[in-house]
Amino acid sequence: MADFFRAVAAEGVKIRGTLARRLCWVAPLVVVGLDVAMLLVRKFGDRPVPAPAEAWLSFAQEAFGLWTFLMLPLFITLQSALLAQLEHGERQWKHLLALPVGKTVHYHAKVAVLVAMIFSAFLFLGIFILIGGHFLAWAKPSLGIAGPGPFGYLLTKSLQVFLISTAMITIHTWIAIRWTSFTVAVATGMSATVIGFLVGQSEYRAYYPWSMALQVLGGKAVEPGPAIATALLVAAVAYGLGLWDFRRREFS
Amino acid sequence: MPPPHAIETFALTRRFPSGHGVQPLDLAVPAGCLYGFLGPNGAGKTTTIRLLLSLLRPDAGEVRLFGEPVGPGRRAALRHVGALVEAPSLYPHLSGRDNLEVTRRLLSLHKTRLDEVLALVDLTAEAHRTVREYSLGMRQRLALALALLPDPRLLILDEPSNGLDPAGIQDLRVLLRRLVAERGLTVFLSSHLLAEIELVATHVGVLHQGRLLFAGTLDELRRRSQPKLRITCDDAGRAAGLLAAFEDAPPDRQNQTLILVPRRSSPAELNRRLVEAGIAVHELVTTAPSLESLFFDLTGAPLEVNHG
Repeated sequence: MADFFRAVAAEGVKIRGTLARRLCWVAPLVVVGLDVAMLLVRKFGDRPVPAPAEAWLSFAQEAFGLWTFLMLPLFITLQSALLAQLEHGERQWKHLLALPVGKTVHYHAKVAVLVAMIFSAFLFLGIFILIGGHFLAWAKPSLGIAGPGPFGYLLTKSLQVFLISTAMITIHTWIAIRWTSFTVAVATGMSATVIGFLVGQSEYRAYYPWSMALQVLGGKAVEPGPAIATALLVAAVAYGLGLWDFRRREFS
Repeated sequence: MPPPHAIETFALTRRFPSGHGVQPLDLAVPAGCLYGFLGPNGAGKTTTIRLLLSLLRPDAGEVRLFGEPVGPGRRAALRHVGALVEAPSLYPHLSGRDNLEVTRRLLSLHKTRLDEVLALVDLTAEAHRTVREYSLGMRQRLALALALLPDPRLLILDEPSNGLDPAGIQDLRVLLRRLVAERGLTVFLSSHLLAEIELVATHVGVLHQGRLLFAGTLDELRRRSQPKLRITCDDAGRAAGLLAAFEDAPPDRQNQTLILVPRRSSPAELNRRLVEAGIAVHELVTTAPSLESLFFDLTGAPLEVNHG
């Protein structure tokens, strides 16, 4: 276990000054900024001003939907590829794997750091939604946003979607480490995301990792327990396969 | 009692589909020596090093470092090892110091090691700069610092002088000699540059097409070949005939110069006989065989000679 924490600490040094680290706050900021901009320019006609809680929820749901549907799969794709490229780029594996540190420790640390980065992005998303909502309350009172933000919704949905996203995280870690090419990792993620647009509208979205999270959002939201359990099961299988593949491969 | 060998391999074998690799290889590198691992490009030097470091799995055979086995799941012996395999593996976006910090954290080493190894490779003043600003030589020195960071008993270096200027190569030689003499380090130095090995190594192994053709000290290698005699005279044709009769083997002839390995007569005896036969001998020189020719004799393949 000490080896694992040391490897995570080493990963912390590796990501200093990287795009991957900056993206943790840039990606949620882009989503919330886009949503705020759309609401600022949107015309609502003579629609009655909704209640403050309803207005807050509507704004939060919209930002969260945009994040889950579009940005999160691409974000995980890019982050996993960037983290793996740290080692592929200058053939770092031949240095790391010649050290007296268990081979699997490096894999565990990579997954842990990616999970931590995705989790931090969810935190930033929640913070930016709250800031964005307060800005809209000031800039466009006709939206009806006022008072405290929907903390309960943000906490619950963040946790649910984050847990479901572990399936994508482990699959992308495997792909990004397995293939040294940045293009392969990114192209796979982009293709899977686009396919997710189609699958997400079908009855099969519960079984496709890139659309699983959509189940717990929107008007047709399902009971989150089974959705989360399915995602965690997929994540565990992908993690196991990725680790097995990493152990048997020769990096030289 | 410490094990007598820093590195031992027993019938170590790894073949690639291309036909390259190493044949059953039995290496024995004495502890505390500077071992030159020589061979032409493609001989299997880097494959051997990757097998020693458990970066590759052998098809057969075993590796032991200081008596401890190394292989998949058996990495404990690597705690004694610092290695530089081919081109330096560095994070270009990090400073030199942060590059070392990554490995320091992984191995849980004391922070003072960073300053010690930076000073050893003369990079203290440049440690704050990002590696992408480094020259090739500075990168090589940083990679050497990385290899020295865990204070290893065994340093495995694969072509470490790549990218170094002549002064840098000279510094590397001095540093390696010092590490062996002062700290009792064992250095396993792979190179295809003959002069580099000749100037620093105490022991050599010659690898060709995956086979170890020679292993021993430099002196033992030199003793494998006898000195050659070069004779310049006024009638090389007649002299060649006489020398062939004296020695039972014809000499090589280059214009008026004859070259032979005297086996039955001393140089003085041959000189006397030629003069008695009325041949004027202008020059008679005994030359020790160069390592270059010895390696060429062993491998049948040319090695690069770099006198830098």
